[in-house]
Amino acid sequence: MKRILGDHRQMIDSFLEERKGDLAFILETVSYEELQDPEVLRHLLNRLQKTSPAFVDLGIFDTRGVHINYQGPYDLTGKIYKNETWFKAVMENGVYISDVFMGFRKIPHFVIAMVKHSPTHTWVIRATIDTLFFNSLVETISMGHTGEAYILNTKGLLQTKPRSGGDLMDPEPADHQLPVFHQGMKLSIKANAAGDDSLVATTWLKNKLWMLVVKQDKADAFRTLNTASLLIVLTTIIGILIIVLVSFYFTARIVQRLEKMDLEKEKLRFQLIHASGLAELGEMATGFAHEINNPLQIIKSEQALIQMNVVELVEKEGIKPSDTLGELDDSLNQIGLQIDRCATITQSILKFGRRNEPASQSLDLKQFIPEIIAIVDKRANLQNIDIQFNTNSRLDLITADPAQLQQVFLNLFNNAIDAVVEKHRPNGGWIQISATNTHKNGVEMTISDNGIGISPENLKKVFTPFFTTKPVGKGTGLGLSVCYGIIKSMGGEMTVFSTNDSGTVFKINLPSDKGNVWERGNDETI
Amino acid sequence: MFGRGETMKQFDVLLVDDEERFLETTSRLLARKGYTVSVASGGAEALEILESCSVKIAILDVRMPGIDGIQVLKMIKREYPLVEVMMLTGHVTVDAAVEGLKSGAGDYLMKPVDIDELTLKIDEALEKQALIRQKISLVQPHQH
Repeated sequence: MKRILGDHRQMIDSFLEERKGDLAFILETVSYEELQDPEVLRHLLNRLQKTSPAFVDLGIFDTRGVHINYQGPYDLTGKIYKNETWFKAVMENGVYISDVFMGFRKIPHFVIAMVKHSPTHTWVIRATIDTLFFNSLVETISMGHTGEAYILNTKGLLQTKPRSGGDLMDPEPADHQLPVFHQGMKLSIKANAAGDDSLVATTWLKNKLWMLVVKQDKADAFRTLNTASLLIVLTTIIGILIIVLVSFYFTARIVQRLEKMDLEKEKLRFQLIHASGLAELGEMATGFAHEINNPLQIIKSEQALIQMNVVELVEKEGIKPSDTLGELDDSLNQIGLQIDRCATITQSILKFGRRNEPASQSLDLKQFIPEIIAIVDKRANLQNIDIQFNTNSRLDLITADPAQLQQVFLNLFNNAIDAVVEKHRPNGGWIQISATNTHKNGVEMTISDNGIGISPENLKKVFTPFFTTKPVGKGTGLGLSVCYGIIKSMGGEMTVFSTNDSGTVFKINLPSDKGNVWERGNDETI
Repeated sequence: MFGRGETMKQFDVLLVDDEERFLETTSRLLARKGYTVSVASGGAEALEILESCSVKIAILDVRMPGIDGIQVLKMIKREYPLVEVMMLTGHVTVDAAVEGLKSGAGDYLMKPVDIDELTLKIDEALEKQALIRQKISLVQPHQH
């Protein structure tokens, strides 16, 4: 706004200077005598109008204010201006630029007048400047919707037409205060006619008679600024919104992953505890079993000795058979049986805890599993249990100790038969065994049955040593824990899924034998 | 005029175990069954008996304080190759069994062993040894 004000002040100043210069040039180059000639004056006006179309007319006056020569659209020759303000002022100051006034012509105009003193004469030259033309010079200033510019004289009267309305020579519509002279430019905020704040910049022209006013509604002036601020605020809000949304999204994802990791960690921890617990328990049990075996051996020997002595007594001393003797015999037999039972348990424990390296070799499960099925087939057939084995022709070989793996499968098959028999006597039971390649260079075997299943609380304990649901004396509770230990020692995984009363699935994952891995993805089932 | 062996005490079975009561009861049982039995509660004692007596079968516990069963087995096989050795253990480790058999043990028995099973194995071993001694006497008739 200041820039506009400054530029236009310069423009108007130089315009007025130029017009003064034009007149000064005429006064210097053309003599008083020559100026008496209407032809010369007409010629001069033409020349002036060529340089600036603002010139309307040109007149020469003598010291008495008589219009001695005039060229222009009006017939003003001979009129006397002696008492006109401008004439008095020009005679006094040498140069004069009038305010806009009506004069004799009854149309707004302003004049520039200059005095020339020569040794013989004193005369005045006066040019009228078209206010319309001058108007357009100022009016071209327009900014936004409400920006306008106009010129006020010292009395606060309009010298050009403002864009917002108001006529020439009228006081400024919004501001009736008399303009006060000031140096340079002045910016202020004033309420306009509508009551809104306006930004007003003022500066005085060089002649100190006219003040250039540039005015714009505050809202309008700051529109771009406001728009920019609005844009910045909007962008910021949208940015924040996006950041918040994105952070929410990522936070949610991270939380989700953390939860997943937590879950996996928990699972891993459980497995670790389970595994280390099993190992510790195995070690303890082995030591325990070994220590038990020695006293057991003695008890067994003692029992055999007692039995032998009883036989001797009967034979040599002639003791007759009696209830007492029968009971004694029965008791001794029972002791023998119980010792054997203890022996079975200790043997199982020792098997479970044994630390020897398995004799691993490449195994083809396609042949190996049917061989084991054949062992239990007779028992299954008796119970009308259907055993099926599914695999595919491109099954990987695995590395395993055949004896150990046989123990695992026999254990699982026998368990499955027991479970199925309990639920589907005399028929309707099935056991399905499958072996397939996994995506991660391994083989997965599943042993599913439609037996009684395992209750959720028991499911947690199936791999724990000595846990059994079988009646006392029927199971040691070591079978599955031994299986678990064997599979783990082969670098595999063993898991169990079960629904109470509808069946159980054991899954065993074993790594494939290196160098015997089929390409994945085109398995055909046989 | 007598060979060295004939002046010495003869035993069918030498039982070696660190459990005194096991030795006592088992030797009594075997004696009742008609075998001559000597006992030793450790490897060192067993070697002493082998030094002074003629023994046909040695039954060794694998796990013993001092010289263990496998070491005793190796010594017996080196010094008295004709003595049949049976290992007796609470451990069923395949490793121990394989090592025992490699070192010349004739058989393997697991604790707690049944007396009938034990006598069966002893009879087998005695028979086997009798056969070997017979073959040896055929090759070296002048030793008697």
